[in-house]
Amino acid sequence: MFLLRMAFRNIFRQKRRTIITGSSIVGGFALAVIFIGWADGSYNGIIDQFTRTRLGHIQIHERAYLDRPSLYRTVDDPAAVGAVLDGMGEVESWAPRVYAAGLAGFGDKSAGARIVGIDPRRESRTTRFDRTIVEGRALGGPEAREAVLGRGLAEILGADLGDEIVLLSQGADGSIAEDLFTLVGVASSGDDMTDRTTCYLPLATAQEYFVLGDKVHEIAIVVTRLSRVRDLSEDIAAELADPDLSVAPWQVFAKSFYDAMQADKAGMWVILVVVVIIVAVGVLNTVLMAVLERRREYGLLKAIGTRAGRIVRLVVLEVLILSAAAMVLGAGIGLGVNAVLAGHGISLGSEFTYGGMVFDTMRSEINLRSFAIPAVTVFVAAVLVSLFPALKASRTEPAQTMRMH
Amino acid sequence: MDKGTDHLIVTESLAKDYFDGGAPVPAVRGIDLTIEAGEFTAIVGPSGSGKTTFLNLISGLDAPTGGKVWLKDKLLSGLSGNELSDFRRDHIGFIFQAYNLIPVLNVRENIEYIMLLQGVPEKERRERVGEILKEIGMAGFERRFPPKISGGQQQRVAIARAMVSRPELILADEPTANLDSGIGAELLDMMRDLNRRTGMTFLFSTHDPMVMDRADRVVTLHDGRVAKDDRRART
Ligand SMILES: Nc1ncnc2c1ncn2[C@@H]1O[C@H](COP(=O)(O)OP(=O)(O)OP(=O)(O)O)[C@@H](O)[C@H]1O
Ligand SMILES: [Mg+2]
Repeated sequence: MFLLRMAFRNIFRQKRRTIITGSSIVGGFALAVIFIGWADGSYNGIIDQFTRTRLGHIQIHERAYLDRPSLYRTVDDPAAVGAVLDGMGEVESWAPRVYAAGLAGFGDKSAGARIVGIDPRRESRTTRFDRTIVEGRALGGPEAREAVLGRGLAEILGADLGDEIVLLSQGADGSIAEDLFTLVGVASSGDDMTDRTTCYLPLATAQEYFVLGDKVHEIAIVVTRLSRVRDLSEDIAAELADPDLSVAPWQVFAKSFYDAMQADKAGMWVILVVVVIIVAVGVLNTVLMAVLERRREYGLLKAIGTRAGRIVRLVVLEVLILSAAAMVLGAGIGLGVNAVLAGHGISLGSEFTYGGMVFDTMRSEINLRSFAIPAVTVFVAAVLVSLFPALKASRTEPAQTMRMH
Repeated sequence: MDKGTDHLIVTESLAKDYFDGGAPVPAVRGIDLTIEAGEFTAIVGPSGSGKTTFLNLISGLDAPTGGKVWLKDKLLSGLSGNELSDFRRDHIGFIFQAYNLIPVLNVRENIEYIMLLQGVPEKERRERVGEILKEIGMAGFERRFPPKISGGQQQRVAIARAMVSRPELILADEPTANLDSGIGAELLDMMRDLNRRTGMTFLFSTHDPMVMDRADRVVTLHDGRVAKDDRRART
C-alpha cells in the first residue's frame, strides 16, 4: 500500500515525463489494437469469403474420403445428416455434393472433367453458387439433364449455351456411364484452375448417372459465426455419433489455405515488435532519467535501511501503474477506431483479388485478442524495460550519493 | 566473528582507501576507537580529515579496505546486503547534512517510513509519530510535504525520523552545517536533551565550534587518524 502510494506520487511528480512515457504507451498500445483488429478483420473476411463461397466452413465426408477420395466412399444417408444439421441453430445452411472424374466432350474436342453434382437450391443458399453464373442460368430442377460448365472448360470444348455435351465416366456399379446434357450456364468461380475442369450437374441427375442411389460424397456446411467453426464441428460429430463419418472444419479440409493464412498472420508479430520498441524507448529513456535524477532519494532510502528489492519494486510499480493507465486510454482509442473500421470498413478504391476472390472493402474486427495480445506485450515490455533502471536505482551507493551537496 | 563486549561501537585498525584513477587515496588510516552506549560524541577535524568516511564505515554504508567494525557486537563485514539493510533499519538512525527527507512523502509518512519497514502496527505508528512531533515542536505539520517547510524544520523531521524507531545509535554527518547558527544551536540542544532522556547514543561529525561545546566527548581526526580524544564532564 505504502509503496503504491509512493509510486503514485512519483508519477504525478513529473507531469511532463509522465505524459511523454504515457503517450508512447498509449500510442503503441492503440496502434497494436487497431492493427490486430484490422488484420483479423481482413483475414477473417478473406477466410469467410473463401470458405463461404466455395468449400463451406465445415464438411462432412466418409471417414477416409479426405485422404483418399473415391467414388465409393460415401455419406450413405444424407437426409439423416441433414435432419441433424437442421436442428442446430448455428448451422446457417448445408449442401450435399457428389464428385467424380470423367471425360467431357463436344464435337471433336474433349477434356478431363471434374463432375460435381449439386443441389442447385441448397448450393445457392449455402455457397451462393448462383452468383458464379456468368452466362446463361443456374441449373434447374434436381433431375434435369442439364449441365453448367466452368468458363475455362466451356472454352476448351468450344461449347455454347444450348449445346449438348457428352459426359463419359464410370458408375459405382462398374457400368460405363455415357450421356448427353444440355449446357445451360457458364460459371466463373474466380479460380481459373477450378473453372478449367469443373462440370456441374443437378444432384439427382448425377446420382443416377453414377448409380449412387441417394448417396453423396460431401455435405458442405456454412455456419453463422466463423470463430465457432472448430467447436461446432465437434458438436456436429457428437450429434451424428457415426464413426463412419468425419466432420472437418475448414482448417482441416483446406489445410494449405489455412497454412497460407497463418503465414500471413505472422505480420502481427512485426507490429508487436514495433510496439515493444516504442514502449521500450519511451519507458527506458524517461525512467532511466527519472532514476538518475532521484539517485539521492534512492541513496537515502537505502541508507536508512530499505532493501534493494523494495527499490526495484518501487520503480517497476511506477511503470506498471503508468502502463495500466495508458493502456486503458489506448484501449479506448483502439476500440473507437476499430468500431469505425468495423462498421464502415475501408473502401480499397480499386478491387483486389486474393486466391481468385475479389475484395473491394476491408473491415476491422473487434475481438478480445486484439486487446489481450498487445496488453500482455506492453506489460511484459514495460516490466522488462523498467527492470534495468530499477536495478540501477537499487544499486545506488548511499555513501556516494549522500556526499553530493 | 562477533565480539563479546559491552561497547556499542568498536573499531580496530579501521582503514579506508579510495581509488582515484588507480592511485589509492587514504581517507581513514587505522582508527581504533570505542564508543559507549549513551555517549554524545562529536567527530571534528579539518575538511578532508575523514569524518564522513569514518561515519560511513561505522554504519556499513561503506566497506573498509582494512580493519574491522563491531556494532552491538556484530561484525559488520560479516553481514550480507539485506542483513546490513535490516541492521541499519533496526539499530541506526541517520541524520544527513541535507536531503534527509523523501519529497513525495509528507512529514508523517517520512517519520513513519522505518516503522513501516519494520512492520509496526498502524495504531502504534500513529501514536509514536504524534509523540515525537510534539517533542520536536512540530505538531500540526503532519500533512506538510518537505519542500513546503524550512530547512531547520526539515532537519527536525529528520531527527524525528532517525529517533522514532528507537535505534541504539544516531549517526549525524554535519547535521547543522546548512542551518543558521541560532537554529543549529536549538537543534543541538534538542538532540542533547533527547540523548539525556532516552539514553540513545549520538555520534556526529561537525565543523561547528558550537556543536563541540555541547558534546561529552570530542574526537579530533587529522589525515584519517585520531589526533585527540577529549572526554568532558557532562554539563
Ligand atoms: N569517492 C571518493 N573518491 C576519492 N577520494 C575520496 C572519495 N570520497 C572522499 N575522498 C577523499 O577522502 C578524504 C576524506 O574525505 P571525507 O569526506 O571523509 O572528509 P571529511 O572530514 O568528511 O571532510 P568534510 O569536512 O569536507 O566533509 C578526502 O581527502 C576526500 O577527498
Ligand atoms: Mg564530510
